[in-house]
Amino acid sequence: MQMTGLIPELTPRRREAFVGYLFILPTYVGFLIFILYPLVESMRISFQEFSLLRGSTYIGLENYAQMFADGRLRIAYINTIIFTLFAVFFNAGIGLLLAVMLNRRLPVLMRNLYRSIFFFPVLIAHTYIAVIWRFLYQQDTGVINYYLGLFGVEPIPWLSNTHWAMAAIIILDVWKNTGFAMLVFLAGLQSIPNEYYEAAQLDGANERQLFFRITIPLLSPTIFFILVIFMIGALQVFDTIIVLTAGGPGDATRSVVLYVYEIAFRTFNMGYAAAVSMTLFAIILVLTALQFWISRRWVHYE
Amino acid sequence: MAKTQAAAFGQTKPAPVKRRKPIGIGDIISYTILTIAAILVMMPLAWMFSTSLRPTQESFHLPPAWLPTEFRWENYLAPFDSSVPFVDLFINSMRITVAVTLGQLVTCSLAGYAFARLRFPGRDLLFLLLLASLMVPFQVTIIPIFLLMRDLGLIDDPLAIILPGLINAFGVFLMRQFFKQMPQELFDAARVDGAGHIRSFLQIALPLAGPAMATLGIITFNATWNAYFLPLVFLNSWHKMTLPQGIALLTGYMGSGNPSVVMAAVTMAIIPVLIVFIAAQRWIIEALTRSGLKG
Repeated sequence: MQMTGLIPELTPRRREAFVGYLFILPTYVGFLIFILYPLVESMRISFQEFSLLRGSTYIGLENYAQMFADGRLRIAYINTIIFTLFAVFFNAGIGLLLAVMLNRRLPVLMRNLYRSIFFFPVLIAHTYIAVIWRFLYQQDTGVINYYLGLFGVEPIPWLSNTHWAMAAIIILDVWKNTGFAMLVFLAGLQSIPNEYYEAAQLDGANERQLFFRITIPLLSPTIFFILVIFMIGALQVFDTIIVLTAGGPGDATRSVVLYVYEIAFRTFNMGYAAAVSMTLFAIILVLTALQFWISRRWVHYE
Repeated sequence: MAKTQAAAFGQTKPAPVKRRKPIGIGDIISYTILTIAAILVMMPLAWMFSTSLRPTQESFHLPPAWLPTEFRWENYLAPFDSSVPFVDLFINSMRITVAVTLGQLVTCSLAGYAFARLRFPGRDLLFLLLLASLMVPFQVTIIPIFLLMRDLGLIDDPLAIILPGLINAFGVFLMRQFFKQMPQELFDAARVDGAGHIRSFLQIALPLAGPAMATLGIITFNATWNAYFLPLVFLNSWHKMTLPQGIALLTGYMGSGNPSVVMAAVTMAIIPVLIVFIAAQRWIIEALTRSGLKG
């Protein structure tokens, strides 16, 4: 295999650098075209009154000022925050609970089977899951209301009531994603050395003390990781909502990303859409930074 | 989300053997809760499958039958006869997914190798910049990308989805971590034998990178197969769409679609995911066995 023809005659060190740049070239071309350029361009567009036909004009901070008067944006933000709080709490909480129970003494076959079952929905598209659950959530014909009815619960208007619609989206999200938290927590739990538990037990610690004094502190990097990942994911919720409720009823489940999508690609008001997306970007950046800062204070890294 | 699945795979060693204790009340409560949770997770999928095999008029039957009561396999042919060009959608999805997955395996392994094992000025800064891009949500970049694709005449063209998909900063990170762990002696030996950098990459690093490539391939395949946002923005004619778009449309406005047919279509769309899942599980076990032999 004669490869040297590809590389100009250079000193070894320069040749190494040349190959290095050659190898990162495809990735960096893509990075410049599809991440860096659009990011800068998006900022520029956010200062424009944008029109596909008439051309665009700079209007300074007007798009940003407009946001404060936009009641629908405020609702979209409130919806997104409510969704994020509940989704992160239940996904992480239930995931941790399942992982702790799976980490108890169980037949290996049972542990592996349950782990697979809990994880499988993570791999299915939000779209398909929303399609399935839309049938399950039907008020009169839906399976969920039928079973709740056996316990004497009146049929719930899952998708047509403003409050229940948000609950429906959160429940679906937890059903789909908590398996991911479970998998990561289980890996974290299994990496805690058993000697810690044995030593504590010799000192007479009970199960609750073991959990709160050993498991939780040693698991805190994992908990932290899961909180960040789920929070960033939840702030961008889109697929489930557009299929399950399309943001309705009214604006009850319209998320920020869905709102951005609609202004950008249905009404083509791209300047304003870019400005709104910038606020979401800023929030995600701040949250990420904040999470890392807090983690330095309470997370035990070994 | 998919990007982080790799973090979770890999570490699947069995739980340490706990002190031998008789099965207590706590264990029984655990079994019970786990079993209920597993049933709750399975129920929607069981409903999907059993509905897909029932005659349409029985799909709203309550109480629902969780196991198939009939086997109307012809429901699985119905999506192909419907207003949705199901075969085209399947081919479109598969074509985009395969192109993106193969593309990323090439770009990420090359860049990962360079960042891990080659020295060049600015290397660490360039890597950090790339990593920082993981914090940019794609909703922020979609408008300029849309305008760019419009100028290139790529609206309603699968290339509009494939091109941005060819790179993956997380994939570069994953490959870099893997290449960094390889022992230096391997490369020193190759150097003594007169191998250049490109040959070291192709003949030494790459053949050993199977597990990392498999992880990246599985994650990318799944994420691309399931993608909804990008296709929704770029593909708008029936024959260009991907499967998730088509199935969302097949469901019809306010769920007016035929449940049996829709569920048959969803079942078929999930099958590649199921195959990937089974393949990934086997791969995990294999990786465990191999590391066990080494250790």
